[in-house]
Amino acid sequence: MESVGAECTELKREYDACFISWFSDKFLKGDKDDSVCAPLLEVYKKCVQNALKEKNINVDEVNIRVLGTDDENRIPPGKSSP
Amino acid sequence: MKVWTSEHVFNHPWETIAQAAWRKYPNPMNPAVWGTDVLDRCVDPTDGALVTHRIISSRWGLPSWASPILGDPSACYASEVSRVNPRERVFRLETQNLTFGSHIAVDERLVYLPHPDDPENKTILRQEAVVTVRGVPVTNFMESFLTNTISSNAGKGRAAMEWVINQVIKGLSSMDDLSAQNRTSLEYDAV
Repeated sequence: MESVGAECTELKREYDACFISWFSDKFLKGDKDDSVCAPLLEVYKKCVQNALKEKNINVDEVNIRVLGTDDENRIPPGKSSP
Repeated sequence: MKVWTSEHVFNHPWETIAQAAWRKYPNPMNPAVWGTDVLDRCVDPTDGALVTHRIISSRWGLPSWASPILGDPSACYASEVSRVNPRERVFRLETQNLTFGSHIAVDERLVYLPHPDDPENKTILRQEAVVTVRGVPVTNFMESFLTNTISSNAGKGRAAMEWVINQVIKGLSSMDDLSAQNRTSLEYDAV
């Protein structure tokens, strides 16, 4: 997998490796402290923001957002269980 | 206004699915997706959920004559927001296209939950997609075309998850408990 900005791909891979490991070994087991990967994330995020600016990609154009509203807790109706 | 909904059962515990979801790309079923980037990520202190905002980059998959009209064929972007709550064992994702968003907006929502009939060992995925064209909900004519396309792609997405899960399992030589309730095993049913 690559980053939207080619110059960020290496930073992305480093961060992703840290995150995957933290998610499995810490977060899923109840440890919510996300500071372990924070420094890698900061550098990576900044790189991505610059790449988006250069490519003129605006992520705020998306209008519909369910998460964070009352609609979030609505579970889509299920069909009969298999 | 829903255009399409679907349900799928994975024969794996929710924790395995949650890990596989982050490793979904690259996979042979979605060759068009070439990039994923985290725009922001944090743990929500109110409920302990991990909130992530990502941008997904993919290729158009359109014939080459369309490029001069539509632009860079590798530049198709979508915005994905997700919440993972490990205590409640809920993983929700919402994705919407950024490219051409003012013309056609496909809003896809997924939720992974422990299967109510077998919450220790199985996970249910519920998906729905809402499509609007220039702000107007899609009906009738467009609906069957989009339904088929979304359904076909969702099928690939599920097949992709199964593939990724198998890769994740093969990559583990030993595993600790992922949670107090679930012990994962290397002896899975063939998927």
